[in-house]
Amino acid sequence: MALNLTRRKFLQTASLAAATAAMSGCFANRATASTPFVKKPFTAPGSFADTKTAVGGVCEMCFWRCQLVGKVRDGKLVKLEGNPKSIDNGASICARGNAGVKLLYDPDRLKFPMKNVGKRGAPQWKRITWDEALDECAAKLKGVVDKYGPHGIAMFPHGSSATYPMGFFEKVVGTPNVSEASFFQCRGIRDMAYVATLDTPPDENVDMANAKAIMLLGGHFGENVHVSHVKRYLKGLENGAKLIVVDPRFSASAAKAHIWVKIKPGTDTAFLLAIMNHLIKTGKYNKAYVEANGVGFDKFKAGISHATLAWAAKTCDVPVKQIKEVAELLAANSPNVSIHPGRHVSWYGNDFQRERSLACLTGLLGAIGVKGGFVKGKGPKVGKAGGWPKINEEHAEEHALHRMAKKHPFSPPGTPTDMIREAAITGKPYAIKGFVAWGQNPIQTIPDQEMTIKMLQQMDFVMVCDIMPTDITMYADILLPESSYLERYDMIKPGTQWDLSGKQEQYISARMPLVSVTAADHERKDSVWITNEIAKRMGLGKHIPVQTMEEKTNKALAGANLSIEQLVKEDGIHVQPGADPYGSVLKVNFFSQEVADAGFPAIPTYIPVPETPKGYARLVYGRSPVHTFNRSQNNAWLANEMPENPVWLNDESAKKMGLKDGDRIELVNQDGVKSQTSSVVKVTPGIRKDTVYMAHGYGTKNPAMTVAVGKGIDDQSLITKLAVDPETGAHGMRNNFVKFVKNGKVLSIPA
Amino acid sequence: MTQSTSTNMAEIYRFLAQSMRYPSPDWMQADYFSALNTFLVELGWDAEAQTIRQAISEGTDWLESIQVEHTRLFVNAVPFVVAPPYGSIYLSADGMLYGPSADKAKAFYREQGFDLAGEADIPDHLTFELEFLALLAEEGKGQEEELFLQQHFRPWFPKFQARVLQEGRHPFYGVLVNLIDFFTREEM
Repeated sequence: MALNLTRRKFLQTASLAAATAAMSGCFANRATASTPFVKKPFTAPGSFADTKTAVGGVCEMCFWRCQLVGKVRDGKLVKLEGNPKSIDNGASICARGNAGVKLLYDPDRLKFPMKNVGKRGAPQWKRITWDEALDECAAKLKGVVDKYGPHGIAMFPHGSSATYPMGFFEKVVGTPNVSEASFFQCRGIRDMAYVATLDTPPDENVDMANAKAIMLLGGHFGENVHVSHVKRYLKGLENGAKLIVVDPRFSASAAKAHIWVKIKPGTDTAFLLAIMNHLIKTGKYNKAYVEANGVGFDKFKAGISHATLAWAAKTCDVPVKQIKEVAELLAANSPNVSIHPGRHVSWYGNDFQRERSLACLTGLLGAIGVKGGFVKGKGPKVGKAGGWPKINEEHAEEHALHRMAKKHPFSPPGTPTDMIREAAITGKPYAIKGFVAWGQNPIQTIPDQEMTIKMLQQMDFVMVCDIMPTDITMYADILLPESSYLERYDMIKPGTQWDLSGKQEQYISARMPLVSVTAADHERKDSVWITNEIAKRMGLGKHIPVQTMEEKTNKALAGANLSIEQLVKEDGIHVQPGADPYGSVLKVNFFSQEVADAGFPAIPTYIPVPETPKGYARLVYGRSPVHTFNRSQNNAWLANEMPENPVWLNDESAKKMGLKDGDRIELVNQDGVKSQTSSVVKVTPGIRKDTVYMAHGYGTKNPAMTVAVGKGIDDQSLITKLAVDPETGAHGMRNNFVKFVKNGKVLSIPA
Repeated sequence: MTQSTSTNMAEIYRFLAQSMRYPSPDWMQADYFSALNTFLVELGWDAEAQTIRQAISEGTDWLESIQVEHTRLFVNAVPFVVAPPYGSIYLSADGMLYGPSADKAKAFYREQGFDLAGEADIPDHLTFELEFLALLAEEGKGQEEELFLQQHFRPWFPKFQARVLQEGRHPFYGVLVNLIDFFTREEM
């Protein structure tokens, strides 16, 4: 470098002219170099700086979908608030909802379509155009279909934006191999067990706000926050409802409980059976309801008669007195009792039976259609739009792995995850060579990461569509950037007022963009556009049901005589008179012939889970109020609130192990798998000695998540022993056991 | 600065801005490298000119290697986006896009009678700031140009430059950020 030549000197030299002359002619296409600016006369801003309220937001920092408004100043989203017109969450949103602003402006967000020119798992990204990306996705996916059949494609979707592409792959392409984490690693078991028992999936429809008693099995509200759900729960407590919390840990809910049942993990079904047996034996169940609506009650009664209080006390490590106290409390407040069905219930691989037990207990107490009981709000009717025609659905059904193998007859929609993974790895009964992840991060949602990676490595093609560089994106061949929930039309959110006993009202809201998705520094697209473009390029364009997200939204709203325009006029939420939700009656299949015919226990049955090996404790995980699993980990505000996930350890055990609160530790599981990252110990009397606990979603491995990477421990990486619920094929994820590691030394956990 | 050097400076800012855009074949061609080479040689940066000539003459796909480098440095990458090209990443406490400093840059654009074409454009993107400097130079607003450099551009650019220099694997962007530095830093 010529050290003596300064800018000023250079600009005065004759050589400048030669240099700049070459510059002005060098761009073959000057259009790409056109100025990003427009001329605009300056006007001084007023004191309010032109802040606008954008309506029609629906949150997706979790799946509860609170209604939002956005404060937008000069094209920039500066704040999110609950929509004051909402009769659901109202003006409230949670910490995560607030932090959506930081998701929008996260520098690590995916911006352009990219091609992996390195290896799967160790990617080297090259930005490519949408045309190149879509052409390649379509050609590769079509290649898989042509060579292996439509069932050669597996899809792992999550979230409302994945519904449309999922419909395309299932109905038009014709693959049955769809695994939704929200079913197979979360609530599918609950839904199927309640359908088998009460003929309806429960969602979280217990009228806690008007209950006299509430029972939570593992539910830890306060740590698990969904605004209108928590409002119901707190209203109930405020009104004096008695709270029973069954949890091996002194959770936020246990802290508010009248009875905390410090149960041995995995034995919940035994606990429930003993309560029911006790109620029947003492005649304290709702005889009128059971006689009128019970199916197979006598067989049920006989079938659970072995479940004495003493048996359960021994099995569950809970005093007889306490089980009896719970049973009596429920009976005394029957039928105004909320037996919460739970949400994430894929725990031990015996979960269908536990969920059946919860539904039976609900029926036994007659806690259906009454204040405080199992009651569904009567929501408004809206239209449906964007459904793909069922071109190849028959092919999909014929090739469903669980039907071919005659396994898991109570599988929720889709195909059990493990069957897809096994088929992919073994090639039996057929090859699976194309993989699509859309909004799901299977690396963290599915146990046994090594197997998941094996499945991915043998694929001919891997396509991932997401908004953030989550772990799964490292395995993509083509990576597509999606617009976020703050920038797109997407879905209709209907419902009722949060307190079912309040003024009966219904609402309809639709997700609408709060800020423009168009900007010069990225090219994000919504899922309707992306899917349609792939469909066209696969030669399936003639089946496209809607052209845009906006059209899809308008068509669905038309079913309620609404439109986007009208909804905006009504501040984003249409409210109309509702209907009384109480008074419904449900048949209760205490004994289920359907379950019997399928070869499973027709009466709720306790199936023991593997015991904790000596020196280990069972690894149990749960929610953090400031995170939604891995999805929110990279959010700067939320990461600041709870940067890692402390591992709960019993204080007496800690003392014997020489561990102090705040010590930095790692974990190693029963298969010798060590956590790749570390966390700190939380020493507390509020957990059983045979159990350790941590919040799920930490310890992300993708370094592209610059805020989250390596912070806390990823519980999923330690879940290497698989349990599969036989009825549903869903995973059980709490049959893994860990020891602590401090400074390289393995520490056994005393019994 | 005279009118003609100021016009030349506008040309240089534009050239630098374009150089930092995604290296697509519709502009990154022989003509471009020839202009860059002339520029570097006239500056007396012969070693840099030589490094770049060498980099694009070696390897089967010289363009792809620059594309991969651009993506890794500025878009998305493992282990992380090395140097997001936005001011507020370096100036705001939480390192996010569209921080307060970006609002201030936008206010400056407006005071000078300019606005970004896109409603949701992030104002303090490197190429925007360079393009804006070109507009100021073109209008002969030397004082405003200095003020913008001093108040908005220089507070973050050296931090960005340091990351590119430290983490860069391809010589192209190292030379480019040094060029930008040369033409924007305050002279003693």
